[in-house]
Amino acid sequence: MRPRVLAVDDSATMRRLIEATLSPRGFEVFLAEDGIEGLARLPEVDPHVVITDINMPRLDGFGVIEGVRRSPTHAGIPVLVLTTESGADLKARAREAGATGWLVKPFEDDRLVNVLRRVLSI
Amino acid sequence: MAEPRRVVHVVQGEHAVSSDPDVALATVLGSCVAACLFDPVRRVGGMNHFLLPEGKDPGDVRHAYAAMERLVNNLLKSGATRNELRAKIFGGARIVPGLPDIGGRNGEAALRFLENEGIPCLVSHLGGNRARRIRFWPTTGKVEMLLLDGLEPPHEVPRRAAPASGSIELFCVPRSSG
Repeated sequence: MRPRVLAVDDSATMRRLIEATLSPRGFEVFLAEDGIEGLARLPEVDPHVVITDINMPRLDGFGVIEGVRRSPTHAGIPVLVLTTESGADLKARAREAGATGWLVKPFEDDRLVNVLRRVLSI
Repeated sequence: MAEPRRVVHVVQGEHAVSSDPDVALATVLGSCVAACLFDPVRRVGGMNHFLLPEGKDPGDVRHAYAAMERLVNNLLKSGATRNELRAKIFGGARIVPGLPDIGGRNGEAALRFLENEGIPCLVSHLGGNRARRIRFWPTTGKVEMLLLDGLEPPHEVPRRAAPASGSIELFCVPRSSG
């Protein structure tokens, strides 16, 4: 079974990059344009891991982390932040909210895949 | 064009955002590219200045994408609306003949990003072999460009990515079984 990744990012360029990186490497990728759409897709996609941007309209990445952690069905899955931000205060906030890790864009293909394999223990 | 009361210089790898009508953002470009983005309704704008870093993959334009996304994010934080954003793109010259056309790739990457994001590009003045001096009025989107003919091109070195770029920090990792 291919691991399912739900990637939440308001940038169309980044959504394309994430899909182009992960799909050929054995992941099934589902995309959402902001936090509201991301959380709405949780039950349907049933992801093994969520990757989320931080700065997004309607609901930001912190909202996504908190929403996943409150989810009755997916509270335990890893949530990785993938963002251009690198401030220690933002990282601390994400950690507090229950994020699994923090990756700063631009990402390298292999490193992203390695992190996903590590958090999914595959 | 009236002289700005204050000029903010945007150096390689940086960006600046302003909603002050008395400010102009300025830079000098060789093979680097500067994207000037502005929201004419909210009267806020910003400029970045990037050059693809040397890397193992010469076609990798992710650093350009990240530079563009950083600018867009900071414009949105400063009150711009994504649907109102407009762009003007400059630079990407081939200053040294015979070397890889890194300037061309910078320009293509910026244009591709704008196309993907649906941000209209009103003006693009890219390529050639001359450096450019750019001044950008962020609240109106006006740009003044000077081609630097016969002058020493700006000293631009492909930089390694900023220290935080590509960094990974795991807060909690599942214990491996067995």
